[in-house]
Amino acid sequence: MSETLATLVIDGRIATLTLNRPGARNALSIDLLRALHGRVDELGAHAEVSVLVVAGAGKSFCAGMDLKAVLGDPAAPGVLLHLLAELTLKVRALPMVTLAKVNGAAIGGGCGLACVCDVAITHADATMGYPEVDLGVCPAVVAPWLARKIGAGRARRVLLCGGVMTGRAAFDLGMVDRLVQTGADLDAAAAEVAARLATGGPHALRATKALLNELDGSGDGGTVRRGADLSASVIALPETQALLRAKFDRPS
Amino acid sequence: MIRTERDGGVLILRLDRPEKRNALTPTMLGALAEAVVAGAGAGAGSRAIVLSGVGEVFCAGFDLSLCRDDEGALGAMLTGLSRCVRTLRRSPSPVVVSAHGAAVAGGCALLGGADVVVTDERARLGYPVVRLGISPAVTAPFLRLAVGDGASRVRALDPGLIDGMEALRIGLAHECLATPAEAEARAIDIAREIAAKPPGGVAATKAWLNDIDGSGADADADAGLAASLGLAGSDEQRERLRELWAGGGKR
Repeated sequence: MSETLATLVIDGRIATLTLNRPGARNALSIDLLRALHGRVDELGAHAEVSVLVVAGAGKSFCAGMDLKAVLGDPAAPGVLLHLLAELTLKVRALPMVTLAKVNGAAIGGGCGLACVCDVAITHADATMGYPEVDLGVCPAVVAPWLARKIGAGRARRVLLCGGVMTGRAAFDLGMVDRLVQTGADLDAAAAEVAARLATGGPHALRATKALLNELDGSGDGGTVRRGADLSASVIALPETQALLRAKFDRPS
Repeated sequence: MIRTERDGGVLILRLDRPEKRNALTPTMLGALAEAVVAGAGAGAGSRAIVLSGVGEVFCAGFDLSLCRDDEGALGAMLTGLSRCVRTLRRSPSPVVVSAHGAAVAGGCALLGGADVVVTDERARLGYPVVRLGISPAVTAPFLRLAVGDGASRVRALDPGLIDGMEALRIGLAHECLATPAEAEARAIDIAREIAAKPPGGVAATKAWLNDIDGSGADADADAGLAASLGLAGSDEQRERLRELWAGGGKR
């Protein structure tokens, strides 16, 4: 099953990793996260790849953490959040350049996955953002990556105010680096960006990315893991549990 | 000199000295810090804070006329400002600042305590006090978190002022409205929206942001304050302040 939840296609210097759970808007379940870990690990054997495109199957990029599926199990949020934390660290540490092709909604942890990539592209009507605080949840795993992407000050505003924004607003904030007008234009534009990135010398790209990771502290796994613990502890609060149950319409 | 208003879960604090463009005194800064501590947090019932100023202008900076007769006034204002910024930053309630009209020098430095800043198109923001031999170092640790290293270098060293749209562009402000009145109204709306959210997640998120960007610790803020205090009473500063007063106090 995990083979199909996330797919990896390699075409010369460009690889494409696709979240393939379109029926659930590619929400990050434990199974999907494990599948993504598996595909990212496989990339290690492909030294010829210079660029990794990350995309979602169907209309969404990624709807965020699948909290509905873990509500009944007190241990599950911690497992889910640590899988996400390790995935962000693993994707950031990849030697190739990563390009998030945000083909539709990128919410919460899904937006975090886009922001951990080196480059992001989307269209004007995509929906992006971090509505965690609206549900009583703390976006602690994704906060360090957003702060590196758009700066600590803007990250503070985005994360404390919650809600979602359009692709255009995300572009204005620096959360994505290239904007096309409609979803129909995205495939061609993303292919063009990926092809251009792939023209870089593989050694030069790797050395440059490694330096950038060192300079901005991207290797600091301790903070991201502490974030997973914090986020799980906030999900466990009675206040948050009640809100999530209400949202997902489940009896306690 | 600090006007306090409760609006549901929102605590609105306004600098209230409009005849002096809300120029800050040591007493005002002390009162502001006390009001933040007393009024914020779950126990006190408020879940978000708005910091604004009565009238057309948020804050024109320190009341430097106090320095004419009191050698210690500048140091007291710098220390009081640093305490206010840290107190706002560490308040469990998110802080929204209405930087309408003008947020200059010490007034601009107060934005260091903000989680969200709203301004207006014709507002004037910046740190002209280097012209007077006063260093904005006290605010530098917070300015770099807001706008990044490149822009904070420019703003701390260039005594020129920027308008609201430029503040928005560099990230010193997060929203820019057409008029001062709209800016304050929007700041209050943002605070109401935050106050309506589940408090546990908001408080945890603010504390986490302070943790990961280092603004929950004192080291950088202490260094900034020490650098500004180190210049208090310097020959250059005395001379330039004398020139200022000789010219009628107009900067």
